[in-house]
Amino acid sequence: MGEMNLKMLLESQTLQRAPFPVPMGWYFVDYSENLKPGELRNINCFGQEWVLFRSEDGAKVGVTDPYCPHLGAHIGHGGKVCGEHVRCPFHHWEYDVNGWCKKIPYAKLMPPVTKKQAVLRTLPTIEKYGMIWSWYHPACEPPAWELPYIPELEDATGYTGKRRGSWTANTCIQEIAENGPDVAHLKFLHNAPMIPPVEVSYDGALMNIDIGRGYIVGKSYGPGLNVMRFNQKNPATDQPITATMISYTVPVTHAQSQMNMCFRHVDYAAGSSELAFTLKQIDHMIGAAEGEESAGFESVDFIVWNNKRYRPNPLLCDGDGPILQFRKWFKQFYVEVDPTQV
Amino acid sequence: MPEVRVKARDGSDHIVAATVGAPLMEALRDGRLGIDGTCGGACSCGTCHVYIQAEWLDRLPLKSSDETMMLEALGEFVPLKDNSRLSCQIPVNDALEGITVEIAPAVE
Repeated sequence: MGEMNLKMLLESQTLQRAPFPVPMGWYFVDYSENLKPGELRNINCFGQEWVLFRSEDGAKVGVTDPYCPHLGAHIGHGGKVCGEHVRCPFHHWEYDVNGWCKKIPYAKLMPPVTKKQAVLRTLPTIEKYGMIWSWYHPACEPPAWELPYIPELEDATGYTGKRRGSWTANTCIQEIAENGPDVAHLKFLHNAPMIPPVEVSYDGALMNIDIGRGYIVGKSYGPGLNVMRFNQKNPATDQPITATMISYTVPVTHAQSQMNMCFRHVDYAAGSSELAFTLKQIDHMIGAAEGEESAGFESVDFIVWNNKRYRPNPLLCDGDGPILQFRKWFKQFYVEVDPTQV
Repeated sequence: MPEVRVKARDGSDHIVAATVGAPLMEALRDGRLGIDGTCGGACSCGTCHVYIQAEWLDRLPLKSSDETMMLEALGEFVPLKDNSRLSCQIPVNDALEGITVEIAPAVE
């Protein structure tokens, strides 16, 4: 016997669940329908509390840091939406959705900094897909990419599907998303009939993944948005049918993630074989299809996610998927704040 | 402690002692010469505006863009002069012994 590699045995003692900061990216905040004109409330995501508000005319949504730059009052406790602005309860300073101070009701001179820049941290926030999305960057940099057009959610006529789900995992997004390229677990954790072939390519913030040679074709737009299209032939007609799972996970903290999903399909005629088949596809995605032995993520993945620890030096074998390339791609979303600037 | 010669808003003359390393604003504020210095040196309140006697101007640090912006904003309310400065932006040192300033009008 050669000398024993002790690190192999003892590294476990130093492992952490999620040894990463919150990654930058576009993230789902809420469904648009859940925020009424003039409404203001506190939310928790990206490792802190934020104040979410909608302008009185309904057109603008803001996500701001809670603490007023003036004297630190919590804008989400007693604050109010005034027109397009959010107003601090303490001295009625007002801020727009970009964090610029627009009004100090008693100051004769507006502090010059208020004319130069935002003084309250806000997150760039847009509404798309019927949802509110915010761009999180630890150093307040502007968005580095745009959210894509998703016909299943944005084409007003061709698609339908009201199913949605939301689950909380006690780990970080990277660990959740790593299950994509980790195709071997599909056979063993989910009882898939085989380990499907996988092809992954990366282009900036975009990850393209093809599992099972076209069976599942997915695109990840940074850490916070995944569009997975499941393509199968309808046995009744032998024609391919696509059902779509859109998932949008939010880092609640650096180590806790809220997974949100919605499921969309072509708006087939009631009673058609296409409709019956595509609904079964969606059942399959969430592991609820009757007569199937495979297990959806809900029942099995969480047991692993909630209890695992991140292995920075994983022991991989020849049948594993391209895990390390995935990790290298994901690393771009971790950015540090220059401590000399704050 | 360098001495500062001050003309107050009512025209009266005063001498106050300033602390080396502290902003000139503090000596004027603590001498109750009509300077508030509310923001503590952040160039955000404009309550420490003074006119510096011309011969001293070259011995002062250059204006930052924040100070310039605040002086411009002040100019909408009170006379802005070439020798206008925010006294919070002037750290006192021994070379300023005898510096002479006039307190600018308050913003009403």
